[in-house]
Amino acid sequence: MLLQLKNISKWVHSGGQKVFLLKDINFWVNEGDFISIMGPSGSGKSTLLNIIGMLDDFNEGEYTFLEEKVHSLKEKHRANLYKQYIGFVFQAYHLIDELTVKENLEMPLLYKKHNASERKSLVADMLDRFNIVGKKDLFPSQLSGGQQQLVGVARALIASPKLILADEPTGNLNSKQGEEIMEIFTQLNKDGVTIIQVTHSEKNMAYGSRVINLLDGKIE
Amino acid sequence: MHTLYFKIAIRYLLKNKLYSFINILGLAIGVASFILIMVYVNYERSYDTFEGSENVYRVYMDALEGDVFEASDAQTANLIGPTLKQEFPEVIEQVRLYRFDKVTFKYDGKVIEESRGSLADETYFEVFNYPLLKGDKQNALKEPNTIVLTESFAKKIFGDRDPIKNTLSGFYAGKKVVLTVTGVLKDIPENTHMKTNFLISFDTYGNWFASEEEKKLNWGHCNFFTYLKVDKNADKTLLKSKVIASDFEDDEDERYNIEPLEEIHLYSNKPYEAEANGSISRIKFLTAIAFIVLLLSWLNYINLSTTKSLERAKEVGVRKVAGAQRLQLILQSLTESIVLNGIAIIIAIILTISMLSLYNNFTGKELVIHTSTITQLLPIIGFIVIGVVLAGLYPAILLSGYSPSKALKGKIRTSASGLNIRKGLIVLQFLATIVLLIGTIVITKQIDFMQKQPIGAELNQTISFHGEFLNNITDSLARRKCKILATELQKFPFVYGTARAQTYPGDGYDNLSSFIGIKYPNGTEESKKVFYNYTADSNYLDVLDIQFLAGNNFIDNPKGESNAIIINEACMREMEIFNPDDAINKTVSFFGREWVISGVIENYHHFGLKKGVHPLVILHGNSSNNLLVKFDNTVASTLGYNKAIAQIEEKWKQILPQRTFGYTFLDKKFEAQYNDDKQFGAAFRMFTLLAIFIAALGLFGLTSYTCIQRKKEIGIRKVNGASIFKILKLLNIDFIKWVGIAFIIAIPVAWYTMNSWLENFALKTNLSWWIFVLAGIMALGITLLTVSWQSFIAANGNPVDVLRDE
Repeated sequence: MLLQLKNISKWVHSGGQKVFLLKDINFWVNEGDFISIMGPSGSGKSTLLNIIGMLDDFNEGEYTFLEEKVHSLKEKHRANLYKQYIGFVFQAYHLIDELTVKENLEMPLLYKKHNASERKSLVADMLDRFNIVGKKDLFPSQLSGGQQQLVGVARALIASPKLILADEPTGNLNSKQGEEIMEIFTQLNKDGVTIIQVTHSEKNMAYGSRVINLLDGKIE
Repeated sequence: MHTLYFKIAIRYLLKNKLYSFINILGLAIGVASFILIMVYVNYERSYDTFEGSENVYRVYMDALEGDVFEASDAQTANLIGPTLKQEFPEVIEQVRLYRFDKVTFKYDGKVIEESRGSLADETYFEVFNYPLLKGDKQNALKEPNTIVLTESFAKKIFGDRDPIKNTLSGFYAGKKVVLTVTGVLKDIPENTHMKTNFLISFDTYGNWFASEEEKKLNWGHCNFFTYLKVDKNADKTLLKSKVIASDFEDDEDERYNIEPLEEIHLYSNKPYEAEANGSISRIKFLTAIAFIVLLLSWLNYINLSTTKSLERAKEVGVRKVAGAQRLQLILQSLTESIVLNGIAIIIAIILTISMLSLYNNFTGKELVIHTSTITQLLPIIGFIVIGVVLAGLYPAILLSGYSPSKALKGKIRTSASGLNIRKGLIVLQFLATIVLLIGTIVITKQIDFMQKQPIGAELNQTISFHGEFLNNITDSLARRKCKILATELQKFPFVYGTARAQTYPGDGYDNLSSFIGIKYPNGTEESKKVFYNYTADSNYLDVLDIQFLAGNNFIDNPKGESNAIIINEACMREMEIFNPDDAINKTVSFFGREWVISGVIENYHHFGLKKGVHPLVILHGNSSNNLLVKFDNTVASTLGYNKAIAQIEEKWKQILPQRTFGYTFLDKKFEAQYNDDKQFGAAFRMFTLLAIFIAALGLFGLTSYTCIQRKKEIGIRKVNGASIFKILKLLNIDFIKWVGIAFIIAIPVAWYTMNSWLENFALKTNLSWWIFVLAGIMALGITLLTVSWQSFIAANGNPVDVLRDE
């Protein structure tokens, strides 16, 4: 088992009342899963994804990731954990505008203390694998949306994470570009990478192996 | 890894050109102003420093003014130096200097006038540790009729010839002496209060122009600067109190005092100084401005970079998700701040160096950044470095603290405390700006006031002609010749009038005499009060159009002198006479004889308006010092000054072939007394403008920030029918509030500071209420202009664009 959520709840106080963003969430993920989280706007999909990605805290419950109890870890330790095992893909790509494609790919490696030659070969591999060698010196603004998302995925993968978290990865793309990205995810999943995606689209859902439906912060 | 930080920093700067430009410009101006001012301040503080200078003291005189002792004379009697050395063992050596106003040298047909020089005791080099290039320090000034020159002055006289053992003639007070060169000094730096190009041995004094009485050691003739070299282990405060307590002269109304040599330039402003000294209050003001301008530019930087940090929230989020730790983000942000500041500092240094020559003209100083001054500049450099790091740290900490999940969703809003800090910064900027504005207005007003104030004498179109006799001519012959010349000049159609006088308004202390000890008409004997006096002929008061309160001018007679005197109103009041008419024909005695008051004149300003009016006595007599010529009104438009002066020179050479020819415009010389203040005013204005400019840049940054923050609010209000004016009001009202708060704090601060600055002037302008209101209105105007530019764009935007983003 890769990770497990037990009775996870998250709430905020609004007008003196507790408003639950997530309530009593229980589920687990095995290595090699391809899970789609679905639900209407405001149902807590992104919050759940952020909690899994350790970007957000929760108020109650237990979260175990590779046997580590995330809820009792210190901030720094937690950061090391997600740095090592998790890659993120965003709807708006979130590439750094001031960096070239190559440098965007290299960035996570810098924070993981790889040496220069390692970084170079890993970046070269990734450029090759995604067929974007010719674009390596371009800046994000010089790429199409689909190409940018390709770089986004490549960046998420570069440090060989066990888990990819994708928040509506095709939300800003046209259908053809979207299909390409989903094909890549399918291929990655076959190679053993666990994927959790948040999506609105039934079509994208079909690529996954398991669906979690959220409504008002609860799993249906 | 760090190269990447640099790469990003530079790309980011290039991408945001306007932001980078504003930021770098603000910082460069701030740093350049700071370095410039501090170089100047350092220079002013470096006066009279050499190895051992901290143990050198100057002796000066205090006199009782009412109940308190006040410094009355920077010069002393010739006895005090030797006496102090004898009485106090901690006084290792003393040297006396007789300062010349000007000596005329003649060598090989060449005539050179030089004002920077003194008679000096042979102990000079014991006290003033200046290097001697040729000759030896022990003996250079030992023999009478010997002279030591500085390297460049020697070159001016002797060219490439070796000056040692060469002889030249010196002329002073109509007396000639032949001098042998015994030493060559390395040029003495400009930063000394006693500028020196030549030193003549003290024993020459007796052979040259000293009167029989002056040749003897005495307490009477206070014409000597006296300096002491004190044992470095001695308790200097104790020595000072011992000197004050000593009473060698047996005179309760006067006493001797000492002050450190190094402090003379900035702290001393006594009658009969060797030169017009600097002013510590000016230095303090300038230092304050330097720090204010620099701090403003950093506040500005902080404001602008926190503004921009909102736009970079996403990047921070991405980096955090990619595994960046907070420290790494802080380091990156700091790198950017260092790159930006580094560029600004490089520009500032280029700016400083290129402006230094401009600045030199501006202040009349010779400022250069020597390698030796680099060490002096170390604290300044250190201060800048610390400031850069601190200014970079706040935005860095702010930026790196964003939560990644919020940052990525674009939900970053500044906390209330963050906004308060920025508001505080803005109020601080306004505060500084308003105080500087008030300062500028007050200084401008004071200088204007001084220039417009009637001085009680008409100096326009009046020129003083003067020179040195290059032969041994008796005083009486010199005076007679001058009288003939005056009569001749009177015949020129362009000459309105001529007068002969010892000195004139604006000439300062150089040719002015003074005395103590007088018997008033009512019989009171006064022995404390200093009276200034000079000699003039019967035309003098007419030529300068000085008004009489009572009585008449001197009555001319063939001898050209009489026992008549004319006193000013201050002098009259000192004599306890309150009606000018009562003073006429009364008898007073001083100089051991009786004088009759023939007239009382209005108080005119002999020293300019910085100093008050002192009791003054004008004696009727012939003087060969200055031949004053008042030109006709039409001379400028018809003949022109140059031609008129050339004609006078021709006459001068006919009648006084052995006298050098020089002239001074009286009005220009009088104005020159305010040069320091004018320069200070100009500097103050310039740096105030720069400060305002920087503050406006900061404001610009903050407004754009507010507009981004309130974009949605503006859109919603517009959709619901708010007019552009309403939106402008909404956006501007906060800034107006801040200006208001700053204004209220600024008033007492500025009032207090400017009041203390005005204390430097005897006649001061009022700190009128309108000065403060004007400064407030100006600050408000600048604010509204800067702010409205941005808020107008925001208010004019199509609300649909904004709301669609959400």
